[in-house]
Amino acid sequence: MSESTLPARPAATPDPESADYEVALESLNQWQLAWRRFRRHKMAMVGLFIFAVMVFLAVFGPVFWPYDPLSLRSDLPGPQGLSPLDLPPMGSDGAGRSVWSLVSNGARLSLIIGMSTMAIAVTIGVSVGAAAGFFGGRVDGFLMRFVDLMLTIPFLFIVLVAARFFGAGELLPLILIFGLLSWPGLARLVRALYLSLREQEFVQAAKAVGVGNVRIAFRHILPNAIGPIVVSATLLVANAIILEAFVSFLNFGLKAQDISWGNALARSQQTIAVGNWWWPFFPGMAIALTVIAINFIGDGLRDALDPRSRE
Amino acid sequence: MTKFIVRRIIGLIPLLFGVVVISFLLMRAAPGGPQAALAGIKSITEADRDKWLARWCLQEEVSLYNIALEFGGWLGVLNCENEGWEAFISEQGGPNALPAFLGGGDNGIIHGDLGLSIKAGRPVTELISERIPATLILTSVALVLWVGVAILVGTYAAVHRYSLFDQGMTFLAYVFYSLPTFWLGLMLIFIFGVALGLVPTGGIITTRDWPPFNTPQYWEAFGQDPLAAVADIGRHLILPVITLVAVNIAADSRFVRASMLESLGQDYVRTAKAKGLASRVVIGKHAFRNAMLPVVTNVALEIPFLFSGAIVTETIFTWPGMGRLFIDSVGARDYFVLMGLLLVTSMIVLLANLLADVLYAVVDPRIRYD
Repeated sequence: MSESTLPARPAATPDPESADYEVALESLNQWQLAWRRFRRHKMAMVGLFIFAVMVFLAVFGPVFWPYDPLSLRSDLPGPQGLSPLDLPPMGSDGAGRSVWSLVSNGARLSLIIGMSTMAIAVTIGVSVGAAAGFFGGRVDGFLMRFVDLMLTIPFLFIVLVAARFFGAGELLPLILIFGLLSWPGLARLVRALYLSLREQEFVQAAKAVGVGNVRIAFRHILPNAIGPIVVSATLLVANAIILEAFVSFLNFGLKAQDISWGNALARSQQTIAVGNWWWPFFPGMAIALTVIAINFIGDGLRDALDPRSRE
Repeated sequence: MTKFIVRRIIGLIPLLFGVVVISFLLMRAAPGGPQAALAGIKSITEADRDKWLARWCLQEEVSLYNIALEFGGWLGVLNCENEGWEAFISEQGGPNALPAFLGGGDNGIIHGDLGLSIKAGRPVTELISERIPATLILTSVALVLWVGVAILVGTYAAVHRYSLFDQGMTFLAYVFYSLPTFWLGLMLIFIFGVALGLVPTGGIITTRDWPPFNTPQYWEAFGQDPLAAVADIGRHLILPVITLVAVNIAADSRFVRASMLESLGQDYVRTAKAKGLASRVVIGKHAFRNAMLPVVTNVALEIPFLFSGAIVTETIFTWPGMGRLFIDSVGARDYFVLMGLLLVTSMIVLLANLLADVLYAVVDPRIRYD
């Protein structure tokens, strides 16, 4: 925040004719500093790489396998399926689908669900938390009692019930259910940040020059609270991906023809007894890898966005 | 202390009520009533069914008014065998909300009746209490293992900071924390159950050696040879328990380690060392005890996770507990069972919060609540 609003530092020798003039004027803003710190975090860079691979799979997945994941091929025998040695790279499931095409096609829906859930939860969580922390008093009391209530409802219980009663196997209801139920934790965090930030001098200064409440809350305070919010947002993505896997595994998630990683795992338990470990193994590994990658990215962001960690 | 506990319990009641109202609304707002489902059950006569539907205020159409009526019936405030305002009056003539011996009704949770399972046609209280032993066995063994291993691993890692063990455990914690629990369960089933054939992969008892679990015959057989019975359940417990607690152990061993490191850095630990005490005494008596304060609270707060974790664990390992009852009931949209289970689980959540507060005061003499 501070860097980006300050006027750019004058270069040591301001010479408008020199080719270096603009480069010399360029100061690093907050995001550039953060990126510089992030790059030094090795695990975070590994995480970013893995995540980029998954996004690549999500976009181009079908290109990597000549047939679509739902085409049941008679030459891929069930119920045991072909092992990864017979059908590289990942074998086939009990119904004649190639596991690799399940994994590469599942990335799309899993990542969409993860990102959209995060977007909804962050929007609601930040708005509610900001309102409660900024206005305080009765607004705070009312909103936080509601957050307490939401956090008391057993989470998996309500998610599964909502998915079964309102989900109907469609993508949009599922995302809405996840998003509408995952924000309370973030709201609490944002409220705590706002409670301390609203007492700071820069907020008083903004008030003194007559800046409106909404503008103070979102233009002045929010950028200072962005670090912890971004970190929780990454965790929300990871949690939503696991949650989707969980719900779909129990058959309350997406329809069977919409392939996500969770859906790829559904019913895979049946073939374990006949020795087909690769069907559940690879989609699960995809989930685990993505979640580890996101957690690493979150760790890197925590360090990079902490204004106290300067080099 | 007693005053504090009583005050907290009174504070919890509105919260519990809110949870129940929201869940009830959610379940009944979805289309599809109980009438059709009940019609499929042959063991109930039509007259009984109509009487039951009326008594519990169950309505065909979904509207806010009807949901409010049904909620009143479920609570036990209303008895819709009477029309209009009369619904507040019980068969005995008193207000329906009073206990039966004071002239009240006998339907609804305030009279200890959780309703009827639409799928099984049996009382919900009966269905749930049948499932409690299996879930309690699973969760209590899991709790002991979880707390024990987390404390051992965390403390050892803190004392030997940056050793191979510590770094390996940090890595493992990261991995386990990112795994979907059920997937871990599937892999354990394959490795130890199918490939190596060491342990059973489903159920709570060996069905060909024992009568069905939790029947009178079973407990009779249990009484004749308790050792063999416990050993049999124990063998079936291995995989579900590991699946259930692996993630918790990963998270909490980190927590114990952090707490232990903080307390090892305190001045009194340096003083104790300077006095020349053996390092075992310093670590065990001075550092460890103080490090356990936040751990105890944290564990109490995480107890509800055992019950939500049990949902998927019991499903994978066909464990006859409440979690599997829940999954079966969600599938069948059996909302009386669901509401009963919700009531039990949210009470566990709230009691765990209370327990955390109380334990905090008990283990830390510096905290006073009055």
